[in-house]
Amino acid sequence: MSTQSASQLLISPSMDEQPESQSRLMRRLHRGNAIATSVLWLITMLVAAVFIAIILNLIWTGLPTLFSVNFYGTGPSGIAPELFNTFYILILTEIFLFPISLGAAIYLAEYAHQGRLTTIIHFAAETLAGVPSLVLGMFGFLVFSSDAHLSISRIAGALTLLCLNFPLALRLFEDALNRVPLDLREGSLALGATRWRTIRTIVLPSALPGLITGLILTAGKIIGEAAALLFTMGLFNPANVFTLDPTLASDTLTTRLYYIKGVGAGATGLNSVQETALAAGISAILIVLLLLINLAARVIGRLVQRKLTAA
Amino acid sequence: MHYSQRARLSDQIARIIFFLCAIFLIVVIVAVIAFISSKAFNVFFEHGGTPLKTFFTIDNWDPTGENDPSGNAVPTFGAFGLILGSVVTTLGAMIIVTPLSLGTAVFFTEMAPKWLVSFLKPLLEIFTGVPSVVIGVLGLTVLVPFLTRLAAPLTGNLPTAGYGWGAAILVLIIMVLPTTLSIAIDALHAVPGSVREASLALGSTRWQMMRKAIIPAAASGLGTAVVLGMARAIGETLAVALVLQGNSLPQKLFSLAALFQPNVNITMVIARDFGETSGIAQDAYWTLAFVLLVISFIFICISRYLASRSVYK
Repeated sequence: MSTQSASQLLISPSMDEQPESQSRLMRRLHRGNAIATSVLWLITMLVAAVFIAIILNLIWTGLPTLFSVNFYGTGPSGIAPELFNTFYILILTEIFLFPISLGAAIYLAEYAHQGRLTTIIHFAAETLAGVPSLVLGMFGFLVFSSDAHLSISRIAGALTLLCLNFPLALRLFEDALNRVPLDLREGSLALGATRWRTIRTIVLPSALPGLITGLILTAGKIIGEAAALLFTMGLFNPANVFTLDPTLASDTLTTRLYYIKGVGAGATGLNSVQETALAAGISAILIVLLLLINLAARVIGRLVQRKLTAA
Repeated sequence: MHYSQRARLSDQIARIIFFLCAIFLIVVIVAVIAFISSKAFNVFFEHGGTPLKTFFTIDNWDPTGENDPSGNAVPTFGAFGLILGSVVTTLGAMIIVTPLSLGTAVFFTEMAPKWLVSFLKPLLEIFTGVPSVVIGVLGLTVLVPFLTRLAAPLTGNLPTAGYGWGAAILVLIIMVLPTTLSIAIDALHAVPGSVREASLALGSTRWQMMRKAIIPAAASGLGTAVVLGMARAIGETLAVALVLQGNSLPQKLFSLAALFQPNVNITMVIARDFGETSGIAQDAYWTLAFVLLVISFIFICISRYLASRSVYK
């Protein structure tokens, strides 16, 4: 008897001092607990299995295409222009996005007092984050492409992506700045440095790993975005696609994928088997890019931890 | 200039620049609302437009008049079917996403062993970033053929069977689940450990502790997760567009077969047709965009209200 656990003793019917009804309640509760626990296990395993199956399926079906040489060429089944455009638009967007959202984050984290203005800015950020990317794409078409006469171009696409990713970048950067311990700032200010000098020499260097993580995570969003680019960057490439001209219309990996399988199916100059192989290849390369981005963000995130625990 | 004067000046300039960056965010959202609402009502007032009532009650979306049976290219602007499509797919997806994501979130925060958490967390983070068009193409190449076979007895072997709301709902589940799940996990993590300990110390089983203490304590945060998931679902475009591929609501709307026939929603027609329209036809699409904007704004307001009520943040 001594090896039995307390709960087994409690529900054991042989115990005389336990009334029958109480032990039945115990048994019911433990049965409920066991059922609920196994249901939760099942649900989680189901969700995880679906996630894993999808990622593996995408990589597996795209693998043959990933290893063919034509895939990286400029022909109808090549993605060289789209790969170039994707990284071009990524860098062009970050050139706008990083300084502006970092500036806004610095204002919120370092200057602003908790008050009406910060509430309004946070509300604006949440609202903008909730605007569907398709609607932001239409807004970009109206404002940047039409009203600002940028037409359908990379710069119009980059400005639209700036609006789309501003709230996310702001949140990530604000979190990174808020993780810098307060006493570092106080020490600098007590030594007579101005606020700007404190930010420049103390806060930003300490927050650097967090800022880089934020930069990488927004890069993942930019690479994966398609709906906002449909009307601002178009679905086609000009002949001189490998130039840095920001006024060119161009497609990216994601919009190309949408074109192949959506509006342009049958019009790509490929047969449907080739189209499917190309689509599988683009999907796989997007997933691989995503995995690399995630890995990079994780490695740098670990650096933050080491830095903070060392400080 | 004296050193301290110069320092003070640069301090002021930096402050103003940062302030302008923060204000720029407000400028963007105000511009989005202003520009889209400035275009949204043209279709109701211009010549050849439509009254407000028919826009929302009639199911016949043909702004360019290309499907006009009389051949005179008379446009019709009945968006009822599109709006119904968005509502049905969103609600259908959320009915399945809500228990799945809440169950998984509770498991994740309360029960999962450490090794499992360190495996599931990166998986979730990766999956949150999967581009929607990739999921759409996967739906098109894997899910739709499967549903075609599954629904064959229902639809009488239509070749286009498989596309439609059923496929859209399944694709939306995959798109929305990571968002809802990670917000729900954050909400549960915000409940302090003392609540768990108090409940267990009173003799609760683990399930009683979750059901009677943790979930009520995190209720408003979990509500936020569901509402933000809905906001994501209603605006989801390319994944859904690729598996809908219809032109109007199916014939027999109130049958199971209607889930497996090519169908419509708001985002699909915008993505497919907006770029090729002009004039009054384009104005109709701006009205649709405005409808999407209003719906997502309402969702954001609800989520903010719920978040303001939550005890633990």
